[in-house]
Amino acid sequence: MGSYFIRHVQVMISTLGDMVRSPANTINTVLIIAITLLLPLFLYVVVKSSEGLSDSWQGRPQISVFLQNEVSSNEAELIFQEIQLHPSIELAEFVTPKQALEEFRLLSENSSLDEELAFLGENPLPPSIVLMPNSGAANSADLSELKQQLHKIAGIDTIRLDLDWTDRFTAIVSVVRRIGLLLSALLAIGLILIVGNTIKLLIYNRRDEIEIAKLVGATNTFVKRPFLYFGALFGLFGSVLALGFLFISASLIDQPLTKLASMYQRQSLMHSLTVYEALIVLAIGPLLGWMAARWSVAQHLWRIRPR
Amino acid sequence: MIKLSQINKRYPNGHEALKDVSFEIAAGEMVFLAGRSGAGKSTLFKLITRIEKQTSGSLLVDQQNVSRMRSGKIPALRRDIGVIFQDHKLLMDRTVFDNVALPLIVIGMPHDEIRKRVRAALSKVGLDGKETQKPITLSGGEQQRVGIARAVINRPNILLADEPTGNLDEALSDEIIDIFADFNRVGVTVLIATHDLRQVERLSKRTLHLEHGELIGDYHHAPKAKSASSIVTGSGVFDG
Repeated sequence: MGSYFIRHVQVMISTLGDMVRSPANTINTVLIIAITLLLPLFLYVVVKSSEGLSDSWQGRPQISVFLQNEVSSNEAELIFQEIQLHPSIELAEFVTPKQALEEFRLLSENSSLDEELAFLGENPLPPSIVLMPNSGAANSADLSELKQQLHKIAGIDTIRLDLDWTDRFTAIVSVVRRIGLLLSALLAIGLILIVGNTIKLLIYNRRDEIEIAKLVGATNTFVKRPFLYFGALFGLFGSVLALGFLFISASLIDQPLTKLASMYQRQSLMHSLTVYEALIVLAIGPLLGWMAARWSVAQHLWRIRPR
Repeated sequence: MIKLSQINKRYPNGHEALKDVSFEIAAGEMVFLAGRSGAGKSTLFKLITRIEKQTSGSLLVDQQNVSRMRSGKIPALRRDIGVIFQDHKLLMDRTVFDNVALPLIVIGMPHDEIRKRVRAALSKVGLDGKETQKPITLSGGEQQRVGIARAVINRPNILLADEPTGNLDEALSDEIIDIFADFNRVGVTVLIATHDLRQVERLSKRTLHLEHGELIGDYHHAPKAKSASSIVTGSGVFDG
């Protein structure tokens, strides 16, 4: 077992040496891998950031509670107090029919509004309470539970949750995520083809070596191993470089983005990769490179036989 | 050690390289394989090392049926046969050390042991201190000896040499053939393909004579000068 491990380390070191000896080829391949990985990474960060954004919006939905028209102002006051005391409500504001009408008047540019109201004879708007749940009750499950609880209070007519907007945003994000996944799959296949082709060139460059090694009794596993290391190491360096590029681009975008975020009183809009996510990126590169090498070796190595 | 029965080899292009060849070489024997270029000597070596497969007949190496061997077993077969090639088959961009060490590297021998063995093998063929040179900087005779060192480094039971004295002068040829005789003396089965009849006479070993892919002679003693010259003047079509 020990010697097996040592043999692998030896192959890895000699493969690294070979990479250093042909820097142009190595740099090209690593760059291709890095750029190919970077595109889905960008999309991932955009989707993650957008999800973070919509999560925090969902923490601030407005809930409009409309009271029944026949509720007296005393009763309305009691309802308001009860709602205010509810543990998952951060802020509540009572809107009298008069205030509501003022607001309505401001918002609508209908000049004949007063005539119409005169025709109705009275203010048709019910008293209402606008409230904001605290951030602990941010998700939609909590919100619908809150809605049900409020419904139990007598004198309440309808409750409206302002979720449409964020729902739509979430839907768009999920479409982008789907596109990202599809794109990633296609890019992965492209990457395997490109790296596989590089490995193929390496195989044919070492034709003599492979032939002679086979003549003196090398197994297929022995002959294959350096190429698998080539693939995996190309992938690893590609991953590292992609993370580096991502970090640089993030710091370039971060400043204007922070400015934007400050307008919305938010700390940061950008999702920064967690250690766990970075490790996954570091694993994907070598995995794809290794797969490319396996594919290429399976296609080409058997053709090289001693003559 | 090596047993051929009614071996035929026809290449895809229709060329019949071997026709109904049968012979047996016992363990520890040293045998010359004589014949002109194109007589089938190289093809015979390719069959023994499973580089090629015979069209018909059976071939046993160390009691193993080579043609029925699964491809996974071929490396083990080749590790037990040291081959010296006419064109040396050395890696010119690697050092002498790397070239000679290759058969030990492919079996995963520890580096210290490899170093010792390479030094011993190079000393045996008279190339002490040439470890770090590239074969390209060596003379033809020295390259041939690098090939011999590589062939013997894994202590194989069989040595096959294809025209090992190819274009060397007489003194160098004698030296090279004597190295093979030394290995034979310690029990290695040696088969040398050559058209150098001087060596055949000098060592008076068993000689198999191939012509146009057919075995036309199996002399268990040194052929007399007369019959040797008849081999040389024998009707040879394949001169290339």
